[in-house]
Amino acid sequence: MSQTYRLASGGRIDRSKVLNFTFNGKTYQGYAGDSLAAALLANGVDIVGRSFKYSRPRGIIAAGTEEPNAILQIGSSEATQIPNVRATQQALYAGLVATSTNGWPNVNNDVMGILGKVGGSMMPPGFYYKTFMYPKSFWMTYEKYIRKAAGLGRAPLQNDPDSYDYMNQHCDVLIVGAGPAGLAAALAAARSGARVILADEQEEFGGSLLDSRETLDGKPAAEWVSSIVKELESLPEVTLLPRATVNGYHDHNFLTIHERLTDHLGDRAPIGQVRHRVHRVRAGRVVLAAGAHERPLVYGNNDVPGNMLAGAVSTYVRRYGVAPGRKLVLSTNNDHAYRAALDWHDAGLQVVAIADARHNPRGSLVEEARAKGIRILTSSAVVEAKGSKHVTGARVAAIDVQAHKVTSPGETLECDLIATSGGYSPIVHLASHLGGRPVWREDILGFVPGDAPQKRVCVGGIHGIYALGDVIADGFEGGVRAATEAGFKATAGTLPKTVARKEEATVALFQVPHDKGTKGPKQFVDQQNDVTAAGIELATREGFESVEHVKRYTALGFGTDQGKLGNINGLAIAARSIGITIPEMGTTMFRPNYTPVTFGAVAGRHCGHLFEPVRFTALHGWHVKNGAEFEDVGQWKRPWYFPKAGEDIHAAVARECKAVRDSVGLLDASTLGKIDIQGPDAREFLNRIYSNAWTKLDVGKARYGLMCKEDGMVFDDGVTACVGDNHFYMTTTTGGAARVLQWLELYHQTEWPEMKVYFTSVTDHWATMTLSGPNSRKLLSALTDDIDLDKDAFPFMTWKEGTVGGVPARVFRISFTGELSYEVNVQANYAMGVLEKIIEAGKQYNLTPYGTETMHVLRAEKGFIIVGQDTDGSMNPDDLNMSWCVGRNKPFSWIGLRGMNREDCLRDNRKQLVGLKPVDPTQWLPEGAQLVFDPKQPIPMDMVGHVTSSYAANSLGYSFAMGVVKGGLKRMGERVFSPQADGSVIEAEIVSSVFFDPKGERQNV
Amino acid sequence: MSAINVFQQNPGAEAKAQSPLHHADLASLVGKGRKNAGVTLREKKFLGHLTLRGDGHDPAFAAGVHKALGLELPVALTVVANNEMSLQWMGPDEWLLIVPGGQEFAVEQKLRAALEGLHIQVVNVSGGQSLLELRGPNVREVLMKSTSYDVHPNNFPVGKAVGTVFAKSQLVIRRTAEDTWELVIRRSFADYWWLWLQDASAEYGLSIEA
Repeated sequence: MSQTYRLASGGRIDRSKVLNFTFNGKTYQGYAGDSLAAALLANGVDIVGRSFKYSRPRGIIAAGTEEPNAILQIGSSEATQIPNVRATQQALYAGLVATSTNGWPNVNNDVMGILGKVGGSMMPPGFYYKTFMYPKSFWMTYEKYIRKAAGLGRAPLQNDPDSYDYMNQHCDVLIVGAGPAGLAAALAAARSGARVILADEQEEFGGSLLDSRETLDGKPAAEWVSSIVKELESLPEVTLLPRATVNGYHDHNFLTIHERLTDHLGDRAPIGQVRHRVHRVRAGRVVLAAGAHERPLVYGNNDVPGNMLAGAVSTYVRRYGVAPGRKLVLSTNNDHAYRAALDWHDAGLQVVAIADARHNPRGSLVEEARAKGIRILTSSAVVEAKGSKHVTGARVAAIDVQAHKVTSPGETLECDLIATSGGYSPIVHLASHLGGRPVWREDILGFVPGDAPQKRVCVGGIHGIYALGDVIADGFEGGVRAATEAGFKATAGTLPKTVARKEEATVALFQVPHDKGTKGPKQFVDQQNDVTAAGIELATREGFESVEHVKRYTALGFGTDQGKLGNINGLAIAARSIGITIPEMGTTMFRPNYTPVTFGAVAGRHCGHLFEPVRFTALHGWHVKNGAEFEDVGQWKRPWYFPKAGEDIHAAVARECKAVRDSVGLLDASTLGKIDIQGPDAREFLNRIYSNAWTKLDVGKARYGLMCKEDGMVFDDGVTACVGDNHFYMTTTTGGAARVLQWLELYHQTEWPEMKVYFTSVTDHWATMTLSGPNSRKLLSALTDDIDLDKDAFPFMTWKEGTVGGVPARVFRISFTGELSYEVNVQANYAMGVLEKIIEAGKQYNLTPYGTETMHVLRAEKGFIIVGQDTDGSMNPDDLNMSWCVGRNKPFSWIGLRGMNREDCLRDNRKQLVGLKPVDPTQWLPEGAQLVFDPKQPIPMDMVGHVTSSYAANSLGYSFAMGVVKGGLKRMGERVFSPQADGSVIEAEIVSSVFFDPKGERQNV
Repeated sequence: MSAINVFQQNPGAEAKAQSPLHHADLASLVGKGRKNAGVTLREKKFLGHLTLRGDGHDPAFAAGVHKALGLELPVALTVVANNEMSLQWMGPDEWLLIVPGGQEFAVEQKLRAALEGLHIQVVNVSGGQSLLELRGPNVREVLMKSTSYDVHPNNFPVGKAVGTVFAKSQLVIRRTAEDTWELVIRRSFADYWWLWLQDASAEYGLSIEA
């Protein structure tokens, strides 16, 4: 029979819409408007999981975010699995599939139950620290077992099909929580014209008003809620975010909101819709209207299914039309909780008794219950629940709160539901995220937010105001204040009339005494982490007196729970056990996030092809069409090599190298950083930025330069050309482009602002095609009729302006291969047209496109460095054997001069860049391999350097490498050894790093 | 040779030209988006882009710019326009001038003549960047997904222009009319922006204009 615990009427559910769902493989029915928890309770499902340490059956305790037990795995397919969903927060939809995450392998008949009973005593608090840490090597084994048993849920094994994103929001007033206080605050702020965001984690706005017995202006409170929401919806500057949890409160009023846009519709978002959205909000003022959580009393067996918060009982009865039992016993220390008994009674269900810890309660709600004939036992409490898989009774006894003693044997009342209320704990999490410690208020027996520097206002339950009329007035006033402080003019408003009630003080009862003390049945404080009152007492006996130590020793408030239900009770028990007050005990830190956030929402759109920007050159389409393999260089995609059919990288690179050396090759060099520098002081600026001299570089000429940081270490290099007396065209490494431009601006703006010079990036403006090889001149001559390519008219390290393939170009005769080379620069929009003409004209010369791999090989054959590969930030020009590139006699100082003349930089046994030639020409030295002089010395060996670049396939016919060796420049002809992980040793000769054409005859033709 | 190398880099209208979004073949997508799309995108390609740098506090500089362009130097975070020409403040000593394609060389010469003797920089960056125009009722939401800068009309009136963080890179946002915005994008990032904007506008519907 379905929905046996559904009441005949009532609730904000749509009984005409029946929804099927499954839980642990069994199909049930619920109604639209149900939470998953409500639907489970309607069907009498009482065990939703097993506790992770003791493997005790656990049921639903709460109706909201504070639920510690009903944490389920949701998802009907592998790709849509979501772990750690609270059934109390999940709206029911047709086809929902839920399973227990705790209670492997089965919640009702748990193998671990037996283990658990043994394990329970084996697993006292501090268990992890005491046991599993020793022996250390066993941790891996234990961890597997604990993780599985702890039921953390599981991540999907397939890609999530849904879309998650971020939205950046700016507002004058952000209101957290849309209960009575938040709605009133929103109304006041919104009417002022301020930009208002109202966020609430529930399915609909209203908070406690959705299940309240209270009336507003004589009408059900929910009607007031809809009228306010309607007005807010009509205001253009108001953003309403239901199903949106404000999860983090960060510096400068930056808050993050996790909005679940389609979780209530299915486990897959409708096509075209975003599933979750993280709102990143910068708020002028924040109104915290988060409310309060009801606190359970801590008594024996309080975790047996059928124990529930009093307020949750009201919620299930009034909001969902579900009775989570038949016969109720209420245990309370306050007036508010009487509502649960009254709601239960009004629904035609049996209230067996109310146990009130106070001597002589006479508040309005108490009298109302008395008038209805409900039995009230004063100075009493439920000391112990009866039953194992479900509550079968409650032992109620007289207690002495002050002495913490049971004063009568009491009686066992037959019942199947125990409602409990130990007062209310303001939800201070967000208010405390930035470090503000909450302050204890004895009058309300709760912590409220302390002072904080943030521009924020607290309204309603979060600072201990609970009576509905006061809450609404406080909310409205807070909204006015926030809007006014944000610079808006707020107007007065009429507030709805509430029923005045006499309410009496709550008595300070947290842990209910038991006649057997800690030898009695377990009294749970934190059910999610299986922390008992006895465990906390044990922790304090073992000397853990700081609240943070008690927390870590017992796991109180760990993980997704964040101490929502157990925190205050745990503190109270620890404080009593140590003999101090609760404020002396203090609270632990609160940290974002308030509730778990899915990884999808954290990633947003920054995944898949949008994970990182990918940069392309103007010629990329050609590379793709011609079968290039690509390499990531910074954010750029650069052609790595162009394999022909059947070629691997080695074959392709060998072919490309040969083509360049024999005829002509083509490289897309567009990614090199390019900076246009203009101004009368441009030349002197270069003198100070580069290590070499620029004073005498004539217009029309180009020069290689090294840049050092202040410490004298090389950080970038490139060729810079003088294109006009006051005009230079600088190139940088691909990866260093942005860094170098910032470096120039930094020095100009901070050190030498008097210099007249400007810098502008032209990296993207110019596309650069390098023609390299002995036939490059012949090829280029077919493409230009206005550039004199004669070797004397256009010598090495000069540039010319003219047209190439009919497009205006700057052509630079510079070489990174050691061959005759021309770098053709054209405005990028026209580059593809020029490339096509070059390819066409190049056919007769076997023009071969090559990528970065061949470029690396060819430059290494010439001993040209790559900054970042052959250098690592600890090498100065001398170390690189590039003293020729240091202008020691420049009139003004320059960056790196002092650094490279430090004593340490002048040592003669510094690691210096040399060529390395394996004695066996077929052996390849792995890049990064360490070098030693004596391979027979005992380990640890004295390492004298390492390999920086190494190439087996090249145009030389033998394997070669570059590397750094201590004092290497004076060790030409000596041997170094590279011991390998497999025990073999590669022997190499130290040689000049210039392997090919040492006199530079090929580039100077 | 002169102190500054200025030369005609534009081969003229006959030369084969490819804009930064050439590969996306936007022309083939015209009319294929959702009817009443919340966002309409258009690439304003092959325009002349010039970076202008100089001393904004020097009256001679402002006067020279005005003489050459007929535009007042815009103040911080604004863009001024005059028919087909726009001038945008980029920083305390930097402006972006966008002119009809093919005019960049002539305009540079005109600017240099009007600013003769002043320390300035004019750089042709036409090949390196492009304009994307976004129009429609949901452009604001797309921008909110993309940038942490506040694009509410109170903070971002028509005529405002900012360089800012956008997704995982940077670009310039200009508001040119009530529901029209322009993004100044760098060529090499064009594909990233194209993918990002398609994704961000998917829920509102995207249509393409030539």
